[in-house]
Amino acid sequence: MADIPLTAAPALGDVNLTFASCVLTERTDIALISVATPHAGYEALAAKIKDVWGLSMPGASASLNAGAMRAIPLAADQMMLAFTPDGGLSETSVQAELTDVAYTTMQTDAWAIIELSGAGATAALERICPLDLDPQTFPNGAAARTMMEHLGALIIRLEADRFLLMSARSSAQSFLHAVETSCRWTAP
Amino acid sequence: MSQSNRIDGGQIDRSRTLKFQFNERWLTAHPGDTLASALLANAVRLVGRSFKYHRPRGIFSAGSEEPSALVQLRKGAALEPNTRATTIEMFEGLSATSQNHRGSLEHDILAVNDLLSPFLSAGFYYKTFMWPKAFWEKLYEPIIRSAAGLGKLSGMEDPDTYDHGYLHCDVVIIGAGPAGLAAALAAGRAGLRVILADEDFRMGGRLNAETYAVDGMDGADWALGVIAELAIMNNVRLMKRTTIYGAYDHGIFGALERMTDHLPDSGDKPRQVLWRIYSKRAILAAGATERSMAFGNNDRPGIMLAGSVRTYVNRFGVAPGRKIAVFTNNDDGLKTAEDLRAKGIDVTRIIDAREGDVVVNTNGRKGLNTIFLNRGRHVEADCLAVSGGWSPNVHLSSHHRGRPEWRDDIAAFVPGGELPPGMVVAGAAAGTMTLAATLAEGHEVATRVATDLGKSGSLATAPRASDEIFATAPIWHVKESKHRAWVDLQNDVTTKDITQSYREGFRSVEHLKRYTTLGMATEQGKTSNMLGLAVMADASGKTIPETGTTIFRPPYSPVAIGAFAGRARGKNFRPTRRTPSHNWANENGASFVEAGMWKRAEWYARPGEKSWRDSVDREVKATRNGVGICDVTTLGKIDIQGHDAAEFINKIYANAFLKLPTGKVRYGLMLREDGTVYDDGTTARLSETHFVMTTTTANAVLVLRNLEFARQCLWPDLDVHLISTTDAWAQFSVAGPKSRALMQKVVDDLDLSNEAFPFMACTTCTVFGGTPARLFRISFSGELAYEIAVPARYGDAMIRAMMAAGEELDLTPYGTEALGVMRIEKGHVAGNELNGQTDARMIGLGNMVSRKKDFIGAALLDRPEQVREDGLQLVGLRPIDQDVILTAGAHFFVEGDPEDMAHDQGWMTSVAYSPELGHSIGLGFLKRGRDRHGERLRAFSPIRGQDVMVEVCSPHHIDPEGDRQRG
Repeated sequence: MADIPLTAAPALGDVNLTFASCVLTERTDIALISVATPHAGYEALAAKIKDVWGLSMPGASASLNAGAMRAIPLAADQMMLAFTPDGGLSETSVQAELTDVAYTTMQTDAWAIIELSGAGATAALERICPLDLDPQTFPNGAAARTMMEHLGALIIRLEADRFLLMSARSSAQSFLHAVETSCRWTAP
Repeated sequence: MSQSNRIDGGQIDRSRTLKFQFNERWLTAHPGDTLASALLANAVRLVGRSFKYHRPRGIFSAGSEEPSALVQLRKGAALEPNTRATTIEMFEGLSATSQNHRGSLEHDILAVNDLLSPFLSAGFYYKTFMWPKAFWEKLYEPIIRSAAGLGKLSGMEDPDTYDHGYLHCDVVIIGAGPAGLAAALAAGRAGLRVILADEDFRMGGRLNAETYAVDGMDGADWALGVIAELAIMNNVRLMKRTTIYGAYDHGIFGALERMTDHLPDSGDKPRQVLWRIYSKRAILAAGATERSMAFGNNDRPGIMLAGSVRTYVNRFGVAPGRKIAVFTNNDDGLKTAEDLRAKGIDVTRIIDAREGDVVVNTNGRKGLNTIFLNRGRHVEADCLAVSGGWSPNVHLSSHHRGRPEWRDDIAAFVPGGELPPGMVVAGAAAGTMTLAATLAEGHEVATRVATDLGKSGSLATAPRASDEIFATAPIWHVKESKHRAWVDLQNDVTTKDITQSYREGFRSVEHLKRYTTLGMATEQGKTSNMLGLAVMADASGKTIPETGTTIFRPPYSPVAIGAFAGRARGKNFRPTRRTPSHNWANENGASFVEAGMWKRAEWYARPGEKSWRDSVDREVKATRNGVGICDVTTLGKIDIQGHDAAEFINKIYANAFLKLPTGKVRYGLMLREDGTVYDDGTTARLSETHFVMTTTTANAVLVLRNLEFARQCLWPDLDVHLISTTDAWAQFSVAGPKSRALMQKVVDDLDLSNEAFPFMACTTCTVFGGTPARLFRISFSGELAYEIAVPARYGDAMIRAMMAAGEELDLTPYGTEALGVMRIEKGHVAGNELNGQTDARMIGLGNMVSRKKDFIGAALLDRPEQVREDGLQLVGLRPIDQDVILTAGAHFFVEGDPEDMAHDQGWMTSVAYSPELGHSIGLGFLKRGRDRHGERLRAFSPIRGQDVMVEVCSPHHIDPEGDRQRG
């Protein structure tokens, strides 16, 4: 065995761009595990995540977070757990916790994650995101799958003017170009 | 001469003067002007030449309905032909030129067409250029094309950018005239989320052009006050310079916002944004368009719509003439005379058609100077304000095929039939032609919409105004006129063209329109449709409603194709997917091929290699003789988990999967419901409840979608869960006799001997000292081979580490071309063979299909075409003359047979040059192919001009027994 330690590369090279009214940053600190609920296993899974992380099962359109853990709805019987790994929390440990109550898949590497924040974030998103981001319709915590510039995307509202935008890793450069162009073109 | 026609008043900023050019001549204007108002202020009356007869034309209207004053705006690559001078907002340095003339605007040599007009009537081209047939393409069409058309394109790439966007609201209000403003005020105050859009750069509509009072103040000032109130409401979005051009399904409207058209240049911002507006309700308050009357020589510069004359006088502070006559069939037209007199402009005559006075002819070569009336009278005038009544702007109400209905009292069509769901119409667009009634209606419909949507906030009361007198008579055409009378100024359609086309049998309005070109191009019938209908009704002896009306389609006014394209231009036409080794490949001489959205390395050129074949041959040889590596991340990967995952996969694939042991991989064949093979790949079992399926690159999304359909709709009782992991893992194929030696250096503490890790084994492991990985022993090349996957974040590091570890083994990267050569050598099918017509028997996998289970495609496995004795079967082909390069697509014929369908024996699907065999090889489908190995056939390709002899052989050109991959 050759001893050549492999270094992880961020999907977008740790990009960080500041525009007149918003900031775009790659989030490389977030790990993702998808969690599928087994048939007739909802209660057991709900009890487990409540017990381990104090987390409730998310509904169809809103993410929930408890402490370091956020649950993002993906499909009728599937959610994504998003967290920042630290000493006690890792992709392996989260999957291990859920072994008996869910089917988990490591998804960290499947996605590129952009945080878009600032007063101009919504105006920038208006150019690429078909969803209604009015705070009444898409309040803090809201999460939805959608398409942006022909790319599948997940959007989560963290705060009034702070969003997480997730899209596939292989096309991340195109996704970044879409978001960046929107920020540039909507800058006052 | 400097703005000699500028008069007092108007909503322009006289504190600033702007310079602009028309036909290279510098003129001045003020902010708030349009190009049209500025030209009129500078006493420029001749603005362009007409489409067919090259007649002198001036400014006819003051809005987007303008048929005549079309100009080329800007210069160089940004030049835009056929823009309406009436909609161009003035800016410093604006440059416009007139169009559609040979020579100067004043001395157009094609004006000779006007003298030839008796020969250029409706259907001229269709009747004249019928023979000889051969002349059409070479002679007639080029001449006609050169003479026809209006402006000219620059022929250069559009330097501007365009964007798209999405907006959402409770109610979109289309038009910010009195009805729209009253509606917006009521809806906004009620708390609805409102979008108020208007195509003008100044909201207010006719209130800016008239002198009416609202709520005790000047109408234009009232509009300003309302706009100010709306502007501070968080729930209201004001969109001026925005045309709602189309009503689409589910309350969606298309809108074009002109972001920088009023600026000297766009900077780095998009010029226009094409919005998709999602609304719960829509209020169409698009107002009405004035129409003309048809009388002799009614197209001269100086003949204008009466309401537009008022617009220039009241809004722009411009006198369109110094001696103005008014010709009207309604009371609204009379208002023009009042407004002109109030500004001290000489009104030389009021000609009220209702009293039997009509204009029969006009004079003035490049601009009106005399008007001839019936009973031998004449009047001097440099401007004639004509009002033939107003037509409600029903356009968007008929975008879902709602057919407008006729109203005798206003002599016009109003919205009718089925409106787009959620749409209500208010104000002049609904046929409510007076101010007080319009304001009240705008308020009332918005209140109704608010209640409907559950809002009952403060609506206050409707704005108050007086109703002016509005009486109109259906007088369209001055029949005593002996001269040509224009119906459609833009397309040079006269009353004679319409009556003639009726006589020639074009009785339907739709046919009339197409035969005469009435209502086409930028004007889209806004000023001409009603006149055309009326003349046709007259010719047929029917009423207008009996004659019918055309309905409207989007767009309401022209939208640049660039705006529809938005960002999808050049390399941003569609997204790009990159493999984890993309950067490394780029650094190492790779050229890339598009595979769907993916960019895949097709080969890695090395110094001294003269052609792609040199690189590919080298890569194949190095792999077959040593070890090669290829990024195969693009293959679809689907994580399948659940207690019933095995049963689910067994129902998906045509071959058996239920008993696939953990730690094993199996090749699977996926059929459509009609039994046709649509995808193939391998599926690995990682645990009792966990599988990883791979698909072809092309079908990754389709397969996942089909699996989701099967999971959710076909077998919802199965406990099975899916998620794509295509992007999550960087996967590399390592192939060749030295691949085991390489992999042994890569993986941590794993026995890779044939006994411990045989062909079709799989496992999770770690590589390079602890990085998690998955290892599969599978082969597409036919060699001893592995696929190794690591989390995508390590993909770039992995290829670099692999290359370093493989240096002593001369590890060679290979691209998709070498991959293709090796799979053809091995006889593996790919897209060329799985073309949507192929079943398992054809590719020699009929025995693999299980007859003991149910699966998708099972029911239609044995259709007559599939079991016929002379069915097509996969074979290998090699040229008799080994110097011949075979071509894909060639058809097989028995020597001596004619080359026709009846004697067709099959076709060549894939070809490659085999470096190992030293000659070209092919795969193909041949009737009874498996029984014909050794037979010689013609491979005939008329498209490529090839006719060569080939020998049929096994599709497995190399290692038919599979010893290498199992070794």
